[in-house]
Amino acid sequence: MRAGAGAAVAVLAALVLAGCGGSDSPPSGPDPAQPARPVGVQDPAVLPTTSAAPAGSCDPRASYRPAGALPAPGRMPSGSTMARIQQSGRLVVGVDQNNFRFGYRDPKTGNLVGFEIDLARELSKAIFGSPDKVLFRAITTADRIPAINEGRVDIVIRSMTMNCDRWEQINFSTEYFSAGQAIMVARDSPIKGIKDLAGKKVCAATGSTSIRNIAAKAPEAKPVSASDALDCLVLLQQLQVDAVSTDDAILAGFAEQDRGTKILPERFTEEPYGMAMKRESVDLVRFVNGVLERIRSDGTWTRLYDRWLSSLGATPQPPAPRYKG
Amino acid sequence: MRLATLISEVVTVTTLVREPASRTPAAAPAAGLRKRAARRFRGTPGRLVLATVALVVLGLATGVTGVVGVRQRAGLVDGAVAQSGELTVAAQRLYRALSDADATAASAFLTGGVEPVALRERYQADVADAAAALAIVSSGGAGDGAGASAVARIAAQLPVYTGLVETARVYNRQGVPVGGAYLREASGVMRERLLPAAQELYKAVSDELDEARGDAGAFPWFAVALGLLTIAALVVVQRYLTSRTNRVFNVGLVAATVAAVAVLLWLGVSALVTAGRLEASHDRGSEEVSRLADARIAALQARADESLTLVARGNGASFEKDYVTMMDRLAGPDRAGGLLAPGDADGPTREFLAAALTEAKSWDSTHGKVRQLDNDGQYDQAVSTSVGTEDTSTATIANRLDENLSKAIDHNSEVFREEVRGAGGSLNGADIGVGLLAALLVFGTAAGIQRRLAEYR
Repeated sequence: MRAGAGAAVAVLAALVLAGCGGSDSPPSGPDPAQPARPVGVQDPAVLPTTSAAPAGSCDPRASYRPAGALPAPGRMPSGSTMARIQQSGRLVVGVDQNNFRFGYRDPKTGNLVGFEIDLARELSKAIFGSPDKVLFRAITTADRIPAINEGRVDIVIRSMTMNCDRWEQINFSTEYFSAGQAIMVARDSPIKGIKDLAGKKVCAATGSTSIRNIAAKAPEAKPVSASDALDCLVLLQQLQVDAVSTDDAILAGFAEQDRGTKILPERFTEEPYGMAMKRESVDLVRFVNGVLERIRSDGTWTRLYDRWLSSLGATPQPPAPRYKG
Repeated sequence: MRLATLISEVVTVTTLVREPASRTPAAAPAAGLRKRAARRFRGTPGRLVLATVALVVLGLATGVTGVVGVRQRAGLVDGAVAQSGELTVAAQRLYRALSDADATAASAFLTGGVEPVALRERYQADVADAAAALAIVSSGGAGDGAGASAVARIAAQLPVYTGLVETARVYNRQGVPVGGAYLREASGVMRERLLPAAQELYKAVSDELDEARGDAGAFPWFAVALGLLTIAALVVVQRYLTSRTNRVFNVGLVAATVAAVAVLLWLGVSALVTAGRLEASHDRGSEEVSRLADARIAALQARADESLTLVARGNGASFEKDYVTMMDRLAGPDRAGGLLAPGDADGPTREFLAAALTEAKSWDSTHGKVRQLDNDGQYDQAVSTSVGTEDTSTATIANRLDENLSKAIDHNSEVFREEVRGAGGSLNGADIGVGLLAALLVFGTAAGIQRRLAEYR
């Protein structure tokens, strides 16, 4: 009985194999050899084609002048945006949790820390009298403007470049950090500067000024975009891109995490960082600028820079504020 | 495969029909042969010889198709059904281990610092279990093209996944954020490649199980039709003999008729019992296992979603949405049933399901607290409510839920094995019995007619 059953199964198996022939046909679905890559990578990058306001049509650094002395913490003028925030009990701030030294999750504690996180706490101190009334929301680069306009956050402090295009959609505070776009490559890469990027894959974050700058300044390069700039470091380490081009401040954080990389000396753009708020809430912008004035003059800015950004080099003077009109 | 059974039956019959003819010398002139045959089969004795040949051929055909059919079905039950059943279990194990690895890696990341030993060990056990299950599935011949392709993809991506998790771990220990980026990439590989492939694989092997079950439980129509034909022929011959000889009964032919009826009953009843047990192995065994495995996987996905929502830190709306989808699937949109509804489950399974549903409800309400805490800015409390080790954390609740489902799966897998064993058992001896009865049929016919023929000499 056993032998007979075995033979019958063998015959059936042969019939099934002959009938389907599936085992010899190439497997369907994605190629198993295709390398893994971070979620949200676009290769080639889809670049925004429209710009609401071209560069040079405004002074991107000029913001609204503070309205006199700052109100005392906990006593925001009634009817103001600050009063609404004070009533809600917390300031909701959109930040980065992946930008080493600026805004990142400390893997040892799970807490968000960094230069921009501390700036948010200074704002909390000015509104509530306590640095801990901040509700941090990690947001992606491309989500910064939607998060503000949909009211999901009160303010964005997330290495955001002030430019005329964005001024059409949101308001910025005065400049709190001066960055410039640079290029990072593997330590032994033959790429020496922006002119060598032709035909090379260059990564930057989706929705960043960096990805537009690559397209504009190195039109022969092949831009690749990732939902977070840090994913570009992963792609560089996995040899899936030849270079990363974004703000020098972000790249300095990458270089600290991977000694096998180098930042090329060339800086080919100016990227002034501002805090972003809703276009309607000019009162909040004036208030934040007042807080920034205080931070610059009382040494807080220098103290925070020394604490977080000393690896960038000698502590500079805080960026001078510029105002409209 | 049904076609294969039919082909083999037809082949058997044609061989039988041809055999007597092949003994005739091929060179004999056709006209002479016809004349001789006509002479030989003229009158009652000639007709009786013809009837004997026809009845013997029919009896042999019935016996051989019956025996071959029984053996094939028994072979399918022991082989294809039992093996596909084991493969289905292995494919579920693989899917569960992968989902659990994803959920565990996310929880370990959330706890911060060097991950707790328990979570590390659980992750390692998951990876080892996934590899073991993959080995079982691939050595068992993972079915058709879709199954083989899914196995190839899992085999290619599993080391990629674990490599990314280890890279993330090293960076986390150094305290730099790129570890988080590697973990997100790893989770992407898991959710976009490994889990869909594991699902495809599971579908392929369970389709194969259904097919094998259908073939093994198929009714032996051809053998039964031949049996009916044999009985009809026996009745006709006996009536003819009665009309010619005035004898009402012919012992040999009556015995042959009884044997033919017995063959028919044995074939029919054993086939119906086998089909019934196989049906039960499906309804009470593999179908329940499959539903429970779906529930278990939905729970693990929901668990990973909860962790990833916290990892994303305010940017996890899509994970939270997925959590709701998974919880709706698990416990129903009203949190009163879904995949955990009692349905047609047996007693022990119902108890496990009821316990699992209680845990699911308590998890969902604690999850509401986690989301509330996170939305109110009490992130640390939200994390500890989710990944803490106390009895009330969602991690502990989800573990209890998983244990209940695991026990229910073990119970129903045992039911499956029992019913398949029963299905095989109902065919035990049927081949020998049918063979002996068919022999009795043939000898009874030959002997019975031989006695009448002797009266003409």
